[in-house]
Amino acid sequence: MTNKTIHLRSSHFDEIQIGHGKDLVLIAGPCAIESRDHSMRMAEMIGGVCDKLGVRWIFKACYDKDCRSSPSSFHGLGLDDGLQILADVREAHGVPVTSDFSDPSWGPATGEVCDMVQVPAYLCRQTSMLRAAAATGKPVHLKKGQFMSPWNMKNSCRKLEAFGNDQILLTDRGTFFGYNMLVNDMRCFPIMQETGYPVCYDATHSIQLPTSMGNISGGQREFIPHLTRAAAACGIEALFMEVHDDPPNAMSDANTVLDFKYLEVVLAQAKAMHEMRQELRAKWGEDNVHPE
Amino acid sequence: MSTQSDQSLTVADVMLTMDACPVADERTILKEVLEAMDKHRLGVVCIVDQAMHLTGILTEGDVRRKLLRVQKPLAALLADDVITHAVKSPISITADVQLMDALDLMGEKKIWDLPVVDADMKVVGLLHLHQAIRGVLDTLQQS
Repeated sequence: MTNKTIHLRSSHFDEIQIGHGKDLVLIAGPCAIESRDHSMRMAEMIGGVCDKLGVRWIFKACYDKDCRSSPSSFHGLGLDDGLQILADVREAHGVPVTSDFSDPSWGPATGEVCDMVQVPAYLCRQTSMLRAAAATGKPVHLKKGQFMSPWNMKNSCRKLEAFGNDQILLTDRGTFFGYNMLVNDMRCFPIMQETGYPVCYDATHSIQLPTSMGNISGGQREFIPHLTRAAAACGIEALFMEVHDDPPNAMSDANTVLDFKYLEVVLAQAKAMHEMRQELRAKWGEDNVHPE
Repeated sequence: MSTQSDQSLTVADVMLTMDACPVADERTILKEVLEAMDKHRLGVVCIVDQAMHLTGILTEGDVRRKLLRVQKPLAALLADDVITHAVKSPISITADVQLMDALDLMGEKKIWDLPVVDADMKVVGLLHLHQAIRGVLDTLQQS
């Protein structure tokens, strides 16, 4: 399978490429758009770290969190206000922006503003969602459902391709292990890479304990560094992390978002591991100890 | 077993034409290819690119050997693109070849099926051993 590179292009920023042999790209931001000021502040803060480390990045924040466990949980600012804030962030900071969308009817507006559109893990095999994502014409960030095997993600890729979009980024955000527990099967990365598409590791949702606290999800943030290094060593091409400057008061995913003060230490190590992986590949070649 | 009349038989006279020949695109998943074999009651599928050029062949034996060698979960194996498991650049033959020469080739290579291609390597049919032998026997009986 030929390795594919996805391209994020806009007049607002220099092209970003995600793919085999390319630099590690960060996708980061607060889980939900909480306010215009907060989004701007987070973009400024994350951008500063990325500039310091020499990492290209994409600002991620969602305008409507439709998968919350409780009807009283914060859903977000909504389509119109949320997308306007994302457009403002891109304009002000020269950074590409992305959000997920949870209803096919939200696809056109999301694609109008976002430089990459994200399909939530729970909806990763819904044909109507994949049709809407493909129709945006933007790269599609497709998260592997917690219930999906990595090899079956090919079916979702084939749907996107059939709808005319072959700019796909596949992400592992953990796999259900019994109830209220996720684990990362690191075999996900080489298996999903067999599709030819680049792969990404979602470091903050992977340590989630889904709905473990009754009506909200818990998390084990202490494992973010370990799992991130492991994923980078496995050859991911992008790293996804939800980052917040005040996790206890985050309006969404307060138990899993990475405290901003740790972003540099986690990202620096991920970048170093990624570069080492590239060096090892250049020296020893592709992994192929059991050719079929 | 050669006779004057069976010498005149060509592959075109007895081959399975395209409506009876299982063909799959390179990116078809293995599970669907096995279903195609089942539907046609044959143990082989010709793998083609979008222009119908022959790029591989997959037999039941290839799948058997793969099952014994690859310790993948069955669901993962079934989800693979068929070209991953196909024999690339398989032996093929053209329709104008004498049937006895084709049978010689099948015997020499110990194969039951020969994809039939045109000058551009596009698949036009399949020579299956049973049909080939039936053609020869029919000719012998007539003579």
